[in-house]
Formats: sequence, structure tokens, C-alpha cells
Amino acid sequence: MAERAKLSRAIKKHTNGWLFIGLVGAAVILLPLFPIILSLFKAPNENWQHITKYLLANYLINSLQLVVLTGFFTVLLGVSLAWLVAAYDFPLRRFFRWALLLPLAVPPYIAAYTYSTMFSYTGIVQKTLRTFDITPNPKWFGVMSMRGAVFIFTLFLFPYVYLIARSFFERQSGSYIENAMLLGRGQGAIFFRVALPLARPAIFGGLALVVFEVLGDYGVTSYYGVHTISTAIFQTWFGMYDVDSAIRLAAYLMIGTVGLFLVERWARRNRRFSSSTSKMRPLAPRRLRGGWCWAAVLFCGGVFAWSFLFPVMQLGVWASWTFDSVFTPAFGELIRRSVSLALLATVIIMFAATVVANLHRTSATPFTAALSRWVTAGYSVPGAIVAIGVLACFISLDRQLAPLYAALGMGTAPLVLSMSLVMLVVAYVVRFMATGYNAIEAGFERVGTKFMEVSRTLGFGITRTFFLVDLPMIKGAVFSGIVLTFVEIVKELPLALLLRPFNFETLATRAYQYASDEKIHEAAIPSLLIIGVSMVAVYVLNQVGKEAKE
Amino acid sequence: MNGRSLLSGLAAALLSVSLLAGCGGTKAVPSATTPTPAPAQQGKEQVVNLYSARNYPVDTVLYEEFTKQTGIKVNVVQGKAEELIERLKREGESTPADLFVTVDGGVLNNAKEAGVLQPMTSATIEQNVPKELRDKDNAWIGLSTRARVIAYSKERVKPEQLSTYEALADAQWKGKVLVRSSTSLYNQSLVAAMVDTNGEAAVETWAKGLVANFARKPEGGDRDQVKAIAAGVGDVAIMNTYYYGQMMVSKDPEEVKAAEKVALFFPNQKTTGTHINISGAGLTKHSKNKANAIKLVEFLTGEAAQAKVAAENFEFPVNAKAQKPEVLKSWGEFKIQHIDWAKLGTNNKKALELMTKAAWQ
Repeated sequence: MAERAKLSRAIKKHTNGWLFIGLVGAAVILLPLFPIILSLFKAPNENWQHITKYLLANYLINSLQLVVLTGFFTVLLGVSLAWLVAAYDFPLRRFFRWALLLPLAVPPYIAAYTYSTMFSYTGIVQKTLRTFDITPNPKWFGVMSMRGAVFIFTLFLFPYVYLIARSFFERQSGSYIENAMLLGRGQGAIFFRVALPLARPAIFGGLALVVFEVLGDYGVTSYYGVHTISTAIFQTWFGMYDVDSAIRLAAYLMIGTVGLFLVERWARRNRRFSSSTSKMRPLAPRRLRGGWCWAAVLFCGGVFAWSFLFPVMQLGVWASWTFDSVFTPAFGELIRRSVSLALLATVIIMFAATVVANLHRTSATPFTAALSRWVTAGYSVPGAIVAIGVLACFISLDRQLAPLYAALGMGTAPLVLSMSLVMLVVAYVVRFMATGYNAIEAGFERVGTKFMEVSRTLGFGITRTFFLVDLPMIKGAVFSGIVLTFVEIVKELPLALLLRPFNFETLATRAYQYASDEKIHEAAIPSLLIIGVSMVAVYVLNQVGKEAKE
Repeated sequence: MNGRSLLSGLAAALLSVSLLAGCGGTKAVPSATTPTPAPAQQGKEQVVNLYSARNYPVDTVLYEEFTKQTGIKVNVVQGKAEELIERLKREGESTPADLFVTVDGGVLNNAKEAGVLQPMTSATIEQNVPKELRDKDNAWIGLSTRARVIAYSKERVKPEQLSTYEALADAQWKGKVLVRSSTSLYNQSLVAAMVDTNGEAAVETWAKGLVANFARKPEGGDRDQVKAIAAGVGDVAIMNTYYYGQMMVSKDPEEVKAAEKVALFFPNQKTTGTHINISGAGLTKHSKNKANAIKLVEFLTGEAAQAKVAAENFEFPVNAKAQKPEVLKSWGEFKIQHIDWAKLGTNNKKALELMTKAAWQ
């Protein structure tokens, strides 16, 4: 009897609407990932030996190299720029503050094509040198290599780290830094001893997105001839026609990456990164003078030029060459579709991410901790693998619903859901939970649980507390999450490619149609439109951020 | 057991049950109903549904033309070949797709082997397309072909120095050979065909020799190899014919200049013939609009459509009567490698194994 009473009390204590919604949401997200994990429990077939012997060893090393180098440089670039923009004042600072987010708008594989063409023999760089009668060794321009891939990923992914770190520095670190200054610390010591350690969760949140994206990429690496785990997955699938072994490889990849970040969380399990005061004083930027001031402008300007201005200008030139043959008024419809689809998926993702993150925060059990990691796992494997998982679930769902369809007079055994946009939207949610979740989690980490606990003690329920206390404090993080997710979906290719209904095109699939056949000039117009749409989103984020501040 | 871990365990159990119910049995669930292909009703919109991995911009123009002529609407999902085959497999008999279109004989054969295609019979198609450019059971029909040839520097190489693919592994080409990665299907099919004509052991030695002659680690696409010749990185490259044609009419004058420094050599003329590959369309096994699908293939293999693809994309038409553009005419007639297309598919895995063993990245 006593046991039962205890049990029912325990269930009451932990069961609420949040748990219910959180579990349902998590189930939908994990469902398509389940067949991937399940593949590990099947016996490997005869190809597996070849894969592990010839493909895996080399490609694993390449993947590690790529991830470590890209991770290092994105953190270097992202954190230093975030610190510069947050802690110092210099000319054009307000412009760079948001312009440094723009590289996110450029799909990495488009950037890869653009840069390799710019640096190729027929590209602008070598061509210009030739007009001055300089014939450089073409090997100097070999961007299509490991270093080229690191270059591309660093330039076009560092804003993940930059965005999350910047909002942390700007909102959170003011009082600590002022105290450190009062205690006589120098600029370097403040950054390395105070700001950087405090920003660790924020930096890792951004870094996780970079690592996931690099590991799941196939576009950049396959074009640059850098063979990674993704290459092995697609070699197995497309070359050996062995989708089962490909999924098996993806399962290992997924477990590896998710495990990595579980370890990181575990390593800082006993530390708290939240503020101890409700007065979160924003950092007051110090004015830079003289040489330092110029150095700051040059650094920001240089990064902006390489990671946005140059490639976009080049795409603009190509777009003008191909405008007559490529541009049609139908692009208006493509823009509308891409935007509305991305908006819809983003709203769902942000809702689910907030629920799961809040659930994890309010009842921090090992179960919710694991759950919160696993819901982001869809970002850690190539999109095409997620697509297969989603496809499998939807076809099976359609089969279950066949009697219902028949009763509605829709014919025998038709595929309804899997021939609709519902499938694609769910796939986006599965894949891009990570961008929404990591942003929100970083926000929650900053706020901590104290305010919530006070509010609960004063008699507010979880839901009221969330809307009245928590949400206003993490507003900035929510907006960041929205923009990151929206931009990711506008750029997304593999899911849209495989899971779309008939005649449904997005800007990304149109760009692919040209780029896949080495028609990079023709791909410029859809690529520029992707960039334009994403730019608008980043600009809106900036404006909303400003208002929130004032 | 405290309340928390109990609750966690409970929730985990619940979750896994729902997961199992939803996804675990994907493959095992048999369809309860037998399919009855919807008969084309009067007044119902006539359609043909395509899963296509052929992304030519000219295809869209052709589909519109077809709709204008016949009133049959063409619906398309474009994607990657293997992914679309996987989609067809999983959809099984409920698939809405009528035609599967892709590039590469090996992949077409793979679709046939996967059991997602069925033979299509049409006197018009048999007239339009010669027997060797169709599957032997007509599970797929060729739509266009391209040759994989040797591009060489006009400055540094005399065509007399060139003979066969095999000879590219000779020591005289050390540090001069350019080719893209072994992940490219074009290379996989070339090697798969060689496995058929030369045997596995010979191909293994050849691949090692070829890799030893590489001017650089494989990178980029076929066009990038031409640019590398123009830049002097290497002297000879393996590439598809139509990319060269497209470079010659590029909007970028620098690309045209680069292509002009390079000429094409059709190898193996005295031996096995130049390797060609094929794009084609197959009727899906569970097609609901069979007649319309066949009509579309008849249209696509017809003279007018064939001439259009040749002119826009610089591929060789499968219909001998189709008009060819000047560039194609300038290459002249050449001996093509005759190979059972099914071999490209069945040998592909072997080819990939040999290439990875030879460290052809």
C-alpha cells in the first residue's frame, strides 16, 4: 500500500502536460531515427568486411581531421569575432554585428563550387593574374582538398559559434567582466580567465552544430575529393547498392557524435553557468583606438569579404550571364514555397525544442538528459539517411491508414501522407531539432533554474512560470533559434530532394538541378535567391534583437 | 527504486513500445489490399508520374511539349537515382510512379534487379531505339548516350601517342593523368565495363598503374579536369563527351578558351571500342498509367525530342534518324564498346572494390 501511494505520488509529481507533449514530440522525432539504430542489431552482410577494411579506416581519419580542424577554426573565428563585437567599439561595429551572420545564408556546397571555380584556371583569380602575364603554379590554388574543405566549412559555419557566443557575451558577462576589471585584470586575462570559461556552454552549443553539419555533409566533401564517413556511407549505398550497410554506417556515426556531446555534458555536470543576479547588465563596449581600431575593422571586414561579399559578387556576375536562359517568373512561386515551408517547419521545431528543453530543465533525470540529446541526433547523420527513416515510417503509416483512405473513397492502398508535404515537414523537424534546441538550451543554461524555483515556490505552475518568467528571459535565444533553423531549412537539400511530392520544387532543389550537372553558372540565380531569403531572415533577427534591447 | 528512476523507466518502456509499433515492422507489414490498377476513366485527368534522376533543363521543355501534344500531364519528382530506387522499393505496389528515369546503365540495371521495373512493349519504341540501346527484356529503354573519352592537351600531346584506356597506365604518362574521384558513377561504370572485357586481375593491375600516373589527387568534376589540362597540371584526362561540348558554348569566355586548348580522343578504336554510357527510362512494376508512360517514352525517343536533347545537351541520340548538332558531327563516327548493360550493374561493386584497393580516391 505504502509503495503504491509512493508511486502514485511520484507519478503525480513528475507528470504534467509538459511531460506528455514532450514525450509525444520526442517519439515523433525519434521514430524515423529508430530504423537507423535498429540496423545495428542485424547481422552484417558480406560487404561489411570490405567496407571496414578499405573504406572505414582511412575515411575515419579524414573525418576526424576535418572535424578537429574545422572545429578549431570555427571556434577561433566565431569566439574572437563575438568578443570583439561585444566588448569593443570601433567603426562599422554595428554593421559587422549582424553582417557576420550572413555567411550562414550561403549553402556550403554552393560556396564550395563558387570558390573552386573562382580559383580554377578559368576563374577570376588566375585570369586576372594572367592578364598581368603572371602564370602562377596552379597547385597554389588547389582549394579542392582537405584544406579547401576546412576553409569552406570554417568560413560558412563559424556564425553558429559567433551568434551563440555573441549573445552570451552581450547579455550575460557584463558584471563579471566589470568585477574582473575592478580587480585589476588585464584585457587578455579577462577574456581567457573570465569570459571564455563562462561562455563554454554557449560555445559548445554552437560547435555541436558545426560538427554535426561537417560530419553529415556530402556536397562539399565529395566535390573536393575529401573522403569522409559520409563518403563511405554513399559509396556503400550508391556504389555497392547496399543500403542496409549504408544505414549501419550511419548508425555508428550517429552514436559516435551523440556520445561525444553526452560526454561533454557529463564533463561539466557539476558546474553551473547561470547568473546569480536578476540584474543582467549588458556589457558596455570599450572604445578601441589607433592601430587596434584599424586591426579590428580589417579583421571583421576581411572575414566578411571572404565569407560573404566575394562569393556573392561572383554569383552575381554569373547570374547576369545566365539571366536570360534561367530566370523565369516561376521563381516567385519557388520563393513563396521555400519560405512558407521553412516557416511552418521552424514554428513546429521551436515549439518542440522549447518543450523538451524545459522538460529537461524542470525534471532533470538521466532519462530527460538522454532524451534531450537524442532529439538532436537527426542532425548528426547525412540528410539522405534521415530521409530513408522518415520515408519508411510514413509508408508504414500510410499502410496502417489504408482502410481509412478506402472508407473515404480514395481508392485502394494509395499513399496519401507520404505523397504530401506532411512527410517533408516532419523530416525537417527530425533533422533540424538541433538548431532550435541548442539555441534554447543555451538560453536556459544562462538563466538557470533559480527564477523558476522562486516562481514555483510562490505558487505558479510550470506553464505559468514558463510564459511569465522564463520565456521573456530567453527571448533572445528563441529568436536566434528561429533564424538558425529557418535559414538551415531554406538551404536544405537532401530531404527536399527525396521526400517532396510531385512537381514540388524549392530554391535549393532548383539550384541542385543545375549544380549536379556542373552547370555552376546556371545555378547562380537560385543560389542568390536562397541567400537573399536568408539575408532577410537574419536582418529581421537583428531588428527584433534591437527592439528587445530597447 | 525511487520515483524518478521508476518514472524514467516507465516512460522509456512506453516510448520503445510506441516506436516498435510504428517503425519496427516496416518491412514485415504486408499490404492488406490487392492493387487494382485504376482504369483510365473518361473525364479524369490523364497523367504520367515520373521519378527522375536525369536533371537536364531540356527535359522540362520536352515534358511541356508532350503535354501540349497529348493532353497528358507530366508530374515529376527529381532526385538521386539510388534514393529514388529505395523510395520505389519501399512504396511497393502503392507507388504512384509510372516511369523511372536515370543516367547510367548500371543503375538502370540495378533498378531492374531491385524488381521495381517491368517490360514495356511498343512497336514505335522498338523502331526508334536499336536493340543494343535497350535492356534485353525492355525493362528500360535508352534515351541518350555519352562516350567517356580521353581529353588531351593540343600543345603537349600528339594524338598518335594515345591509343587505349589501358595505355594510360603506361609509364610515359607518369604524373600526367587527370581523372575525377572513384565516387563518380562514370568512373565506376568505365571500370565495371573493363572488368567485363579484360578480367578482374588485369583491371586491378591497370588501376594501380593509373593511380601511380595521377597528376594530382582526384578532385572536382569532369570540367575541372579539362581546366587542369589547360592550366598545365596534367596532359590527359578521362571525361565525358558532353561536358566538353557544353564548355565550348559556355557563357564564360575563359572556359571556352580552356576547352579550345584541349581535344578529344576516342580510345580503344582498334580494340574493344570506346566506352559509352546511357540514360534511360523504365516502366515501374506497379505503374497505374502504363499507356501514358509508354506514350511518353515513344515521344522521348522520337526524332524531334532526340534532336533537341542532342542540341541542348551534346549527348548522342539513340534514334539514328535524329538530327545531330555540328559538334557531335565533328567528332565523327566511332566504334563503341558493346557490352551487356547488365554487366555494368553486376560488376559495379567489383569495380568499386578494385578502385578502393588501388587507392583511387
